[in-house]
Amino acid sequence: MRSLASLTSLLAIATAGLIGLPSVAAADTFRFTAIPDEDESRLVERFSKVADYLSDTLEVDVEYVPVKSYGAAVTAFRNDQVQLAWFGGLSGVQARRLVPGSQALAQGVEDAAFETYFLAHASTGLEPADTLPDSIEGKTFTFGAKTSTSGRLMPEHYLRERFDAAPEELFTRVGFSGDHSRTIALVEAGTYDIGAVNFKVWDAALANGDVDTDKVDVIWSTPSYPDYQWTLRGDADETFGAGFTDRVRQALLSMDDPELLESFPRSGFIPADNDMYAPIESVAENLGLLR
Amino acid sequence: MMASGDSRPGLLAGDGIGARLARHSLWLIALALIAIPLADLEILSRDPWAELGRMALGLALPDLGAIETPLQAIGLTVAVAFWGTLSGVVLGLPLALVYSRSRWVRAASAGVRAVHELFWALLFLQVFGLSALTALAALAIPYAGIFAKVYAEILEQTPRAAQEALPEGTSRLARLAYTELPLAFAQLAAYTRYRFECALRASVLLGFVGLPTLGYQLESAFREGRYHEAGALLWLFYALIATLPWWAHRRLLLPLGIASVTLLGPWPEIDGGLLWRFVSQDIWPRALLTGDISGLVDWLMGLPALVTAVANTLLLGLLGTVGALLIALALWPLASRHFGNPLTRGAGRGILILLRSTPELMLAFIFLLLLGPSLLPAWLALALHNGALIAFLVSRHAHAIEPGMAGLPASGRLAYELLPRVYPGMLALVYYRAEVILRESALLGMLGVATLGDIIDDAFQMLMFDVAFALLVVTALLNILVDALARRLRPCEPPIDDPCLR
Repeated sequence: MRSLASLTSLLAIATAGLIGLPSVAAADTFRFTAIPDEDESRLVERFSKVADYLSDTLEVDVEYVPVKSYGAAVTAFRNDQVQLAWFGGLSGVQARRLVPGSQALAQGVEDAAFETYFLAHASTGLEPADTLPDSIEGKTFTFGAKTSTSGRLMPEHYLRERFDAAPEELFTRVGFSGDHSRTIALVEAGTYDIGAVNFKVWDAALANGDVDTDKVDVIWSTPSYPDYQWTLRGDADETFGAGFTDRVRQALLSMDDPELLESFPRSGFIPADNDMYAPIESVAENLGLLR
Repeated sequence: MMASGDSRPGLLAGDGIGARLARHSLWLIALALIAIPLADLEILSRDPWAELGRMALGLALPDLGAIETPLQAIGLTVAVAFWGTLSGVVLGLPLALVYSRSRWVRAASAGVRAVHELFWALLFLQVFGLSALTALAALAIPYAGIFAKVYAEILEQTPRAAQEALPEGTSRLARLAYTELPLAFAQLAAYTRYRFECALRASVLLGFVGLPTLGYQLESAFREGRYHEAGALLWLFYALIATLPWWAHRRLLLPLGIASVTLLGPWPEIDGGLLWRFVSQDIWPRALLTGDISGLVDWLMGLPALVTAVANTLLLGLLGTVGALLIALALWPLASRHFGNPLTRGAGRGILILLRSTPELMLAFIFLLLLGPSLLPAWLALALHNGALIAFLVSRHAHAIEPGMAGLPASGRLAYELLPRVYPGMLALVYYRAEVILRESALLGMLGVATLGDIIDDAFQMLMFDVAFALLVVTALLNILVDALARRLRPCEPPIDDPCLR
């Protein structure tokens, strides 16, 4: 019966604990997240530095919140667990639809004209070309994350445009690797014959010497489309004071430390607005990824 | 000696329990063999052996220093498991008291426990975000359903004499406090303890959907090929499970509870409007809310490839169940006192405990990295984990058996003395486990295997919560259906009663 008594006292403590604990989210810390599009070690390194920079510039406590999936980034934004996020084209559209009043503040210089590279394993014998060859039919194929713009939405769009068929009809197997680093690794290992990858992640991996180009190389690149952007919640001014939105935008646009920018990797940030992403929105609606 | 043809029974003929069970098992295996060509069991990666070698090296040379904040991750893992289980008890115990009287309570408990903890986590993530509340609710809700059922069964079995001595009109609560609880406390406590161990494993897995428990870093390290760090995390996990009897000792529970409550966090700011919108609108198809029948039909037609996903889930469930039977059959002698020497038994028991302690999802995830995303890695994971669990119980059960025929070789001892005695129990255990295997089959889709979990994850990623919710309901119904089927097909009651099965 002694255990019963201890159980009862535990319950009392639990109740007291649940009521008495301060809510962490109540403190006025400015939090941001980013879609997990690459190896996590890179993401944490990248965004901890950005948090320091924003904290110095905005004179508020800034914290980076890591997440496991694109969906979780959008959910954190929707639940006000983060107020700012580095989204992809599609995840940004999803987030701004869920949180009315939120706006795209800035995009990378490269995001105005972003591209997807199609990679192929050497054993396929596929060569770089101006259009995707018919011989990719019957191969295996991997996208990146399910709601990635450069890893899923746009490559699927251009595949359908070129072959007038769904990827599942075109390839013998279609997979989702989860992120761009993993897509490169899977095609390099030959698990999939072909993969679609964010061109900036590929370029960075190549520059770092992380890729064996005897095993995997680019065979085609898509036409350009708008992609990544910083999106801020509409109620940021209410929480952090009038003019906060403009200060955040200014802080992002004036980020010029090569070390910070290189880790994105972008050469700088330029202004963006919600309307720039209308093409992404309509492509996503056509593919049934948005409704 | 010549036997006359008509007096010797055919190999599998006759009404004896042995022949009956043998026929039953062979039918089951035949069914699985027929199903195999329907399953996608391709090995996709070109060089799984090289990758396996790198993983083994990582396990052999774990790099503890590479883990960031291991204590924090362990602390949160334990805290979530502890408070999740306790919340499950608080919610489940009252339900257990009315369990036999209320059909609604029974149906609701069956419904909530038919949905896997991780699916609950995905649902709660939408309203409570990456917070302690999401983690606790993901464990507490399904466990409430499990506790309601199991507690009710335990209370039912308490001797009646004490209750009959109570005056008429004694309240249900008084009856519980004065007659049932004192008699059943040891059993209730033992089951709760087992559930805590399950909660610990589930808590680790919550890291796979983004809550910062041990599984968070484990998933990243394995996926990104940092195998020395992954190895260290895996050993940390095994150490946590293996030392459970010491750190979760009865006398330490109170300090453990108090200490761990401070580790829970962060607590979300609950947005009532958002929560209400989610419950009243987001999870229901819009056509249903507006009463638009033709719109509802369109919505139903628009549901993703449901038939394929259900078929694959059932297929994997069947293959996993039969695989578990074969693995159990092959492995149980490894840990049994009737075979081998102390060294082989020690090793055998070690392997069984390791496989039993590693959750299916984690095994499947590792096999998937090695083999690529077909049903094969999921099948291996289900068969090995559940087979090892059953083998462990069977070898423990066989411990009490004294072989009567002296001088038999090991093979004879197995075939003539032990197997006939343990097999009925083993088969019954497999049927008991079928429900769990099916629940896991659906879940493994989250890793990219083509079962229900795959399209559920799709729907959550695309923020189509109505579709996700409908698919979760389908998953739960499928599970309840298969559970009922397994009950009917089960050849006999399991003589081995163990909480691990429920």
